Amino acid sequence: MTRIQRDTIAYLLIVAFCILMLAWAIPNYTPDYPGYGASPALVPNVSISVILVMSILVLVRNATSRLKGKALPPGESEFPEDGKTTGFTQVGRVKLFRLLSFMIPCALLVIGIDYIGYIPAALLFMLAIQFVIGTRTFVQPIIVSVAAVGVLYIVMRYGFGVPVPGPQLF
Amino acid sequence: MEMIIAGLLDSISPNSLMFVFVGVAIGVLIGAIPGINGPMAIALFIPATYYMSALTAIGFLIGLNKGAFFGGAVSAVLLRTPGTPEAAATAWDGYPLTQQGKGEKALRMALYSSVAGDVISTAVLILIAAPLAAIALFMGPAEIFALISLALTVIAGIGTSSIGRGLMAASLGLAVGMIGTEPVTALPRLTFDIYQLGAGVKLIPVAIGLLAFSEILIQLERIVIKGIGTHVTNVFSEKLEDRLLSWKEFIGSAKTLLRGTAIGIGVGAMPGLGAPVASFMSYDQAMKRSKHPEEFGKGRLEGIAASESANSAVVAASLIPLFVLGIPGNLAVAMLMGAFMIHGMQPGPLMFEENAQLMYGVYGSLVVASIFLLVIGRFGLRFFCKAVEIPASILYPVIIFTCIMGSYLAQSSMFDVIVMLIFGTVGYFMRKFDFSYVAFLIGFILAPEWERALQQVVIISEFDTYMFVQRPVAMVLMALTFFVIARTLWTGVKSRK
Repeated sequence: MTRIQRDTIAYLLIVAFCILMLAWAIPNYTPDYPGYGASPALVPNVSISVILVMSILVLVRNATSRLKGKALPPGESEFPEDGKTTGFTQVGRVKLFRLLSFMIPCALLVIGIDYIGYIPAALLFMLAIQFVIGTRTFVQPIIVSVAAVGVLYIVMRYGFGVPVPGPQLF
Repeated sequence: MEMIIAGLLDSISPNSLMFVFVGVAIGVLIGAIPGINGPMAIALFIPATYYMSALTAIGFLIGLNKGAFFGGAVSAVLLRTPGTPEAAATAWDGYPLTQQGKGEKALRMALYSSVAGDVISTAVLILIAAPLAAIALFMGPAEIFALISLALTVIAGIGTSSIGRGLMAASLGLAVGMIGTEPVTALPRLTFDIYQLGAGVKLIPVAIGLLAFSEILIQLERIVIKGIGTHVTNVFSEKLEDRLLSWKEFIGSAKTLLRGTAIGIGVGAMPGLGAPVASFMSYDQAMKRSKHPEEFGKGRLEGIAASESANSAVVAASLIPLFVLGIPGNLAVAMLMGAFMIHGMQPGPLMFEENAQLMYGVYGSLVVASIFLLVIGRFGLRFFCKAVEIPASILYPVIIFTCIMGSYLAQSSMFDVIVMLIFGTVGYFMRKFDFSYVAFLIGFILAPEWERALQQVVIISEFDTYMFVQRPVAMVLMALTFFVIARTLWTGVKSRK
């Protein structure tokens, strides 16, 4: 998939999101106008409308460029070589499966803490995330997991006096 | 006067001194690790400051930010991998010096330039912020509304190659900032019947998700693809003249250093430009005015002095718009603004009236942090150099776990962890699609203040559309806002032709 194709799909999704917000979410989940001041829906409507208008402009620009056979600037139409971006953003291809491989352990940690408690869930999470990024040894992941989970347990429980999440064994 | 003395005494209390010291040390250590920067460190550590007094918390975070700015130079000089964009220019001359075995000399120059730029900039902040804030107090809701509108459009350019995408990100930040209890009706807005959203989306999980978690997701992705190895060699030569920075060498760069500091202060005081601009401008000027421009990029100490003095001068100078107008000029300051708000203060000109003692305490902490930076940098240089060698396969899983538990820590709420994961994913996509998460975050932080000012304008003026025309300052600011938006659209149209 080229960058323009990917961006077009993304902007179409953004347009759909904006329409959903303007047509359903904002009218249904915003208080009625109280009769004075600005309407509670004003700022959400304006901000979502700005996103909608800008997205449509980009889509129109991409479409007219395609129809006229004009190429967009390389910065808009090509992916930079991986790792060659500077600044705050890291433009590049979305690696969806890799993203999922990182997010699933995170989601399982959130669910697992409620069922098996902080220590076992966190230990399993740390081992899983190290496995996902390619660590295939035994000793290092175990030491890193125990150390990280243990230090944060001590910091939370004894440092800040915060209740550790989930059921506790002791 | 009593307030000034009391504030300064607060800043040198043992507790405050200890946390500023710890903040600077952690900041340098974190900044030295490639891929981790000051705002990210602030986001990760804000939950810990919940349990500190306001001054201790702000002092700790200021120390963290100052330390991280210098820390960024460590990885730039040793690995040619600037952890932050503003350290990129430092790498141009720092890394060639490392290759020549003069890494320690380069780092010493970076340290002294950073501290000098920082101290001068702090002095300027102390001298001008309070008088400017007194003038800013004459601003009414119309001016504040217009000013925030202008800031949002100007800031939209940070962190993206397209101001249009920056505007979209800032607008999304505003929209997310609207979630919670609506201020006029006191009824829930856009909460989708999720009771935890009644108090709004909290800053800490959003900041950790956008700044730290999403960055680590991308770093992890790179590890899986390529594997990351850091190998530092030849940093510390045995020869003393290669390791130490002589007075002659330092004085030889003094002019460049002062110019860089002036550029840093000017750029930092203007919202939206930030440290990378200052750093590159200063480097460019140093090269143009040098008698040996051909030596730049090959290991010239002046190049390091130019870059480091400018980017460190931005740290204190960027607090000027925050203290005077309540506008965060860059990401680190936006995070500090969030910390002020978490501790019950609204940054802006009123702070000098309502929290005078604290403000002078913050000034004191800024000075103390500069002194600690010099001491810690001077004596801990070799230790911090080791930080760049921590394997990413150990570091990033620990950080990702810290992000998760840090989000929980602030309010002991697993809901905040879910919010962090959602915004971490949003941040990942924003980075991949070149949307500015900086503009998003600043829009999110300024949203309540912007809406409050808008409501006040509407209520006071009773829907008089000429309200802004009657207030000349507000009118000029609104005109500038529309000019920036129009120019953005025009540039977009022109780029097609």
